[in-house]
Amino acid sequence: MLPDRRRWRLSRQVSNVAVALCAAVAVLGVCAAGLGTLPALGPLLDPGHGAWAAASGGQPPVSQTLTLPGLVAPVTVSFDDAGLPAIGAADRTDSALALGYLHARFRLTQLDLLRRRAEGRLSALVGPAGLASDTLELRLGLLRTARQEWARLPARSQTAELLTAYAHGVNDYLDQVRADRQWPALFSVAGVYPADWTPVDSLAVQGELTQQLDFTTTPLDYAVLARSLGMARTMSWFPVSFGTGAGQHPYDPGPYHASGVARIAKTMTAGNAGAVPSAAVARAAAAILAQTSALASGPAEGYSTGGAWVANGPKVAGGRSVLAEDAYLPHTWPSVWFEVAISAPGFDVTGATVPGIPGVLAGHNRHIAWSLTDTANQAALFYAERTSSTRPGRYLWRGRWRPMRRVRYTIAVRGAPARHLTVLLTVHGPVLSQAGPAVSVDWMGSLPSPDISVLAAIGAARDFGQFRAALRSWRAPAQDFLYADDRGNIAAISAGYYPLVRHGRPWLPMPGTGADDVAGVIPFAALPHSYDPPDHVIVTAGQRPVSASYPYYIGTTANQFGPGCRVSQEYSFLAARSRLRLSGLSVPQTSLADQFAARLVPRLVAALRPARLGPVQHEALALLRGWDHSMDPGSAAAAIWSTFWAAYVDATFAPWWQAAKVPVRWDPAVLTVSASQLTLDQVLAHWTLADRSNAAFSAPGEAARTAVPVLRAAFKTAVASLRARLGGSPAGWMLRRLHPSQSPVLADRAVSGLADRTVSGWQAADGYETPDDTASCVPVGRQEPGWRMIVRWTGAGAAGGVMAEGAYPGGQNENPASPWYANLIADWQNGLYLPMPAVGTVGLVRASGSSGVGGAAGSGSPWWELRP
Amino acid sequence: MSRPVGRAEVDRLGKRGSYRLGGLSQQGTARPAPPRPLRPWFTRPRHAGTPAGWLLGAVAGTLAIAGGAAAGLWYLPFAVGLVTGFVMRWGGWRFRVTGPAVLAMSAAGWGLVLWLSALRGLPIGPTAQVIAALLDLPAGAAGTVAVTLLVSVAQGLTGLWLGRALVAWQWPPGSLRAHRRR
Repeated sequence: MLPDRRRWRLSRQVSNVAVALCAAVAVLGVCAAGLGTLPALGPLLDPGHGAWAAASGGQPPVSQTLTLPGLVAPVTVSFDDAGLPAIGAADRTDSALALGYLHARFRLTQLDLLRRRAEGRLSALVGPAGLASDTLELRLGLLRTARQEWARLPARSQTAELLTAYAHGVNDYLDQVRADRQWPALFSVAGVYPADWTPVDSLAVQGELTQQLDFTTTPLDYAVLARSLGMARTMSWFPVSFGTGAGQHPYDPGPYHASGVARIAKTMTAGNAGAVPSAAVARAAAAILAQTSALASGPAEGYSTGGAWVANGPKVAGGRSVLAEDAYLPHTWPSVWFEVAISAPGFDVTGATVPGIPGVLAGHNRHIAWSLTDTANQAALFYAERTSSTRPGRYLWRGRWRPMRRVRYTIAVRGAPARHLTVLLTVHGPVLSQAGPAVSVDWMGSLPSPDISVLAAIGAARDFGQFRAALRSWRAPAQDFLYADDRGNIAAISAGYYPLVRHGRPWLPMPGTGADDVAGVIPFAALPHSYDPPDHVIVTAGQRPVSASYPYYIGTTANQFGPGCRVSQEYSFLAARSRLRLSGLSVPQTSLADQFAARLVPRLVAALRPARLGPVQHEALALLRGWDHSMDPGSAAAAIWSTFWAAYVDATFAPWWQAAKVPVRWDPAVLTVSASQLTLDQVLAHWTLADRSNAAFSAPGEAARTAVPVLRAAFKTAVASLRARLGGSPAGWMLRRLHPSQSPVLADRAVSGLADRTVSGWQAADGYETPDDTASCVPVGRQEPGWRMIVRWTGAGAAGGVMAEGAYPGGQNENPASPWYANLIADWQNGLYLPMPAVGTVGLVRASGSSGVGGAAGSGSPWWELRP
Repeated sequence: MSRPVGRAEVDRLGKRGSYRLGGLSQQGTARPAPPRPLRPWFTRPRHAGTPAGWLLGAVAGTLAIAGGAAAGLWYLPFAVGLVTGFVMRWGGWRFRVTGPAVLAMSAAGWGLVLWLSALRGLPIGPTAQVIAALLDLPAGAAGTVAVTLLVSVAQGLTGLWLGRALVAWQWPPGSLRAHRRR
């Protein structure tokens, strides 16, 4: 037996070893595998690799020769000081491969997030927080559409070759990152790394963009509103069309003639608005709205105020043409835009691309310039399927009970067990909800759309005929394409699929039994369009592109057609000018003037009685009287106006919403009474100017009143609110204090599942403001200006005949440590433009490899020589 | 507590060999520890090896940690701490010396890699800000650098603790010295 002392010592040693072992296991375990949401700290914080390795991605590129498997011939890439690259390739597919490599090199996180979002694989990266988005995306079927489209593409088609080459370029970079283990920080933190890129991924990203621009839940919102507010009020406050007097300046008044497929009523009023949807349908609508509200990409159809204009003839110095674009997409850092010039035989294009898509969306080549901005049509129709408890899994269509097709998915979830999802498909499309009747959606974005081949054809087009021919195949998203060429021609075409039904009211959920099915789309020849108009100007800004006499249904006011005042503003600017040059053309794009306020502030001032105002209200009124209607961030009057307008909208409509118990929680972005409700803004402005006794001003159950007391009450509410928030001195109520504008980092939108571990908090500290945020003719807009471009043709043929400038808020590199991360923001913010990288400036490397890289090598700017 | 004394032992009191009994101490009183050899604080401790050798070893450990980080071997601070725990017994070093030494080696090893990266022009500061944001750490580069070094130090000290505990178990105090004398 051991003596006590030895035994005690031994037990102490054993316990010391045991505790030390436990501590070692705990520390190494946390370091190796993480704990709960805590990532594996060892590999993550390893200064040689892990998240620190992201630093290497923040370095500007250096001149070097790179070997890229998959290239047919050498390719050169040169960068200007701002990081804008120009690709020179001897083969068209090689240029796509180089573009894929560039996108991956500078936007790998963005690429992976975009495809994960589109394909319903976000949860694998962000955990359970991504499930709602994944479930809806898999139901909606962007991945199914992408696979279907890829399967239908002939292997030897140009589109298939471009997609394959692009994927090869992305994968070349992925191979390099895998070898160097220098992943962007997000992947190191999550411990989940991107798989190889495929052509289906590109098509899914195309679908994601289509969804952002084209998918709409308008009929579901109508169903909910009609059940609560009543059909009459719903159709009065959210009419199908404002008619001719609403000031929505269409870019082409027509006349248009119905030429085929179905024609439905051109104007809708409360009288023929249809029956109120049943409670069951409203319940199903609410269930779907709850899903769409959770979409990672945010609410659809929210970006309607992008704008563009073209002018020609006497309006332009030299008599040729000018195109100016201001495209709107969700505002993130990195921006969705990536600027690039591509030169290949028969293809010289410079402009804006979107990572994931091998094509230039807006830009110019040697002969034509084009832009695309969103048109606010209704591209999604909803159907309440007739089902029966005696026939489970079947639905009635055209007199027969048919089986619903089932598609099963397994959703991988980071840090949690995988989930299984079964999607039911009817002839109309996927069933999005079975709360109440099964409601399916027939969305034009679900149809394969050869967007990439259209963009390739546009890039190679030499005149309007080729441009128009290319657009014939464009299906979704429906877009306003503007055109200007080196011969001085200008045009606009609202291309895409506009679904038509023979019966029924497409702005409501319709019976799915067959009679109300989509019968076709508006024929291409009858789509809204304009070519060389007599006044030499075409402007689009999300407004209804045609007048009320247009014979086809394209959507209702609730589809967020622009209010038209921005269009009017630009028409006014262009009407007053001639012989335009490049300088000064940015004025309409960067103008802060608010015509909406200019029309309504005099009515407000007239309604107020100074004798009954307090000193602070007096001072606020004086500021409004002296205001130039500019939504300048430093303007106090702008803050007073925007606060007043929000209070005015609320004072008018909120009592009705409360009395009717509108369930705004089901779709807060659309159903909430707010100044960002374009339709409510427009009807209220119309009543204030021309119908001040409208019954809507009399709150339910209260005495009748006109607009005047509501204006007064809203003004007092606004002043009290501003006083409480910003202090007692109206002179200090600057707009920037009221609406500090910030842009979320892409990870913020897409990776909310990382439980607030986003870069937004850090980025917000930089405090960038977007002046346009509050200057879109809507008092407090949520507008998100993005890619701005001005192209002026000064002569035909040679590249010297074009002057082109562009700007977007952000930078080419997604890595916040890069000097090219935010370097373009200041110029964009100040309304300045950079010359777009010119086509054909990079000397092509001959197949023999004997030639250099043209001017790029000698200019001191970095360049790459990419070799097979 | 003392063991109970048997009757036979009491009967042998005063006879030859009774001093060996030793169990008749006062009940409940612990046996006093043998006196330790006098080692005034101002005398130099007796260590195996030369100071230069130990210093060189520390530098080698630091470089090993740095090299490991560069090679993706993030667990080398633990390994270096473990080895230090083993050799400290042989070298006659106490924890108050080896603890700070391992702490310094671990922090310096990973810190060296970051420092060299910054010297190479890599944007370490902005990258630290990104990592801070993604990990929900306080904004700023210093916090991320501190957490990174802390991960290395935690590994090193845990390794040291384990190594020291294992050595103490296998070779109690004095056994190594006796082994060296043999």
